Amino acid sequence: MSMIKFIIRRLLSLLPVLFGVITLTFILSRLMPGDPIIAHLPKNFTAEMYDEMLEQLGLNKPIFEQFVIYLGDLFTGNWGVSVTLAPGTPVWNLVLERFFRTFDIAIFSIIIAAIIGLKTGVISATHRNKAKDTVLRGFSLVGVAIPVFWMGMMLQLLLAFQIPLFPGIGYKTAGIGDPPVITHLRIIDSLLAFDMVILFDYIHHLILPIACLSFITLASITRQTRSSMLEVLGQDYVRTARAKGCKEKDVIKTHARKNALIPTITIIGLNFGGLLSGAVLTETTFNLHGLGELLLVSIQNTDYWVLNGIVFLTTITFIVINLAIDLIYGFIDPRIRY
Amino acid sequence: MEESYDQELKFEEVKEKSGIIKNTLLWILRNIKFLLIPGSRLEELSQREFDYEKTISKRKFIRRLKSVLTILGIVIIFVIITFAIHGAWIAPYTREVANGILVGSWDPPTPDNLLGQTKFGRDVLSRAIYGAYSSLTIALPAISFSVILGVIVGMISGYYGGWVDSVIMRITDVFLAFPGLILALVFVAIWGQRMEYIMLAFGILGVPYYARLIRASVLQARELPYVEAARVSGSGNWRLMFRHVLPNCIQPIIISFTFDIGGIILSLAGLSFLGYSDMSLIEWGNDISQARLHLTDAVWAVFWPGFMILITVLGFMLVGDGLRDALDPRMKNQ
Repeated sequence: MSMIKFIIRRLLSLLPVLFGVITLTFILSRLMPGDPIIAHLPKNFTAEMYDEMLEQLGLNKPIFEQFVIYLGDLFTGNWGVSVTLAPGTPVWNLVLERFFRTFDIAIFSIIIAAIIGLKTGVISATHRNKAKDTVLRGFSLVGVAIPVFWMGMMLQLLLAFQIPLFPGIGYKTAGIGDPPVITHLRIIDSLLAFDMVILFDYIHHLILPIACLSFITLASITRQTRSSMLEVLGQDYVRTARAKGCKEKDVIKTHARKNALIPTITIIGLNFGGLLSGAVLTETTFNLHGLGELLLVSIQNTDYWVLNGIVFLTTITFIVINLAIDLIYGFIDPRIRY
Repeated sequence: MEESYDQELKFEEVKEKSGIIKNTLLWILRNIKFLLIPGSRLEELSQREFDYEKTISKRKFIRRLKSVLTILGIVIIFVIITFAIHGAWIAPYTREVANGILVGSWDPPTPDNLLGQTKFGRDVLSRAIYGAYSSLTIALPAISFSVILGVIVGMISGYYGGWVDSVIMRITDVFLAFPGLILALVFVAIWGQRMEYIMLAFGILGVPYYARLIRASVLQARELPYVEAARVSGSGNWRLMFRHVLPNCIQPIIISFTFDIGGIILSLAGLSFLGYSDMSLIEWGNDISQARLHLTDAVWAVFWPGFMILITVLGFMLVGDGLRDALDPRMKNQ
């Protein structure tokens, strides 16, 4: 019962943040320099054409009215039509496909990074100051300090251009089609359609970007796990467990790991935001035609609607992931459910 | 009886005054062992033990800072700051030449250009050295802005509590809900691509983080008994906040400060890689993005700027790690 109350309370506290995010996105996108109407009209336009386009796009209404219309549209799924970028295409279509491509990479990166990172963090803490620890700490320091795009380029150079092991660019080779669209995630779709060719091709293309992104997140998670694990291992209850005669690995598995998990999971949630930013950079490096590219292009072309859609979607993803992490928090640590 | 007592006292006083220099010299001689050899303490001096407790723990702090990695970090930061300030003396070419259009392009390393050439025949080594200036000049004011504003906002929020706290925390949540690079990108796109606007963008991005950080410490520190004592003895709110509560909350701020400088340098490199930074500056990320097309035939143009970013951020991370380990209260007795 307290679990359900906790979930409801968390969701309710989300609403003001959601409203703030929507408002801020709207304000920021309207503050962009450049005029989408001028970009849309042909070279020599008259004042009438300008006014007509203004009215057509709904930009001549007072800003509050535009905001309310925007809110209504947002929740009914009508995110407007892209004006300058790909005139006429609904924003939803443009954004959705790319969003799921980026989301694919981000989710798999963070899952891989979390699994490996927790393990290496525990190893690093238990073998403190020995060889394994030093090597892992060295790697995690490099991982935290390295720029994503540079690492991507070095990997591209070594593994894709010098030794043609992985394709360095793109997410699919030219001839391969798309799996039937069930969820929009390509890996799951191709699994569900049992189309192994598409699946292996996709994974083959994605190994390098996912390796870059997850290396960096992994480094951060390892560092955080190591320090929280060290703190937990100094606690009294661990000492009691050892005094009672528990085997060392049982001490770690049963007592220490769960307690060390809590700050680490917060870090994983916060890193997801960094992962989304890193995904923008990685997409540029590996030409993955994802959300980041759309974001950059829409900023260049001053397309309010596409920009709104992208920023809104990215932020909502981040909020949802952090919400999930808060709920996992409450699941693991009963004290937090208050 | 009283007379002799007075006389004795006077005699003692006189003896005291004449013996001051002698006493000082004896004090120095006796304690020179403490001053020179850290950690050596004579067991019999129980009273002095208490006096020197503070000095000893300070020495331990400095001793803990002396681990190899931290010194390496400090050396790296020193080198990078030297590159930033005195780049013109160290680099083989001047800034105009490093930014100009010359003969030849993408040449491999020669004795003229020690690390090779990049796009318009510019020297990679000079650009790598001059890039330190733009990174540090953008990072340091940005982070100072974040810390100062974040500390004030977080302090107000944590100290007053109530609805002020709720409102400020909601606003903070809204800003923290945006992934960092995307918000920085949008800010720079709105305001324009000048160095000052980039500083401002990163500064604004950092405020919610520091506000949260210090609010957590303030919530703990304001329950301490001496805060209540100070209030009872009549200090006003601001004085309480900044003279009593703040010194307890500084420690996570200092550690975050060093880590964040590295973070801002990385984000700045990302911004300039995407093309949204000041084009007139020599920036490492910009170099990498210009050299991208020539990845296979001019590796040096891509490798060295990225390597400089790696080394710089690594230096700040090492120092941050060292500071965190040295300031850690739990490990003080080890």
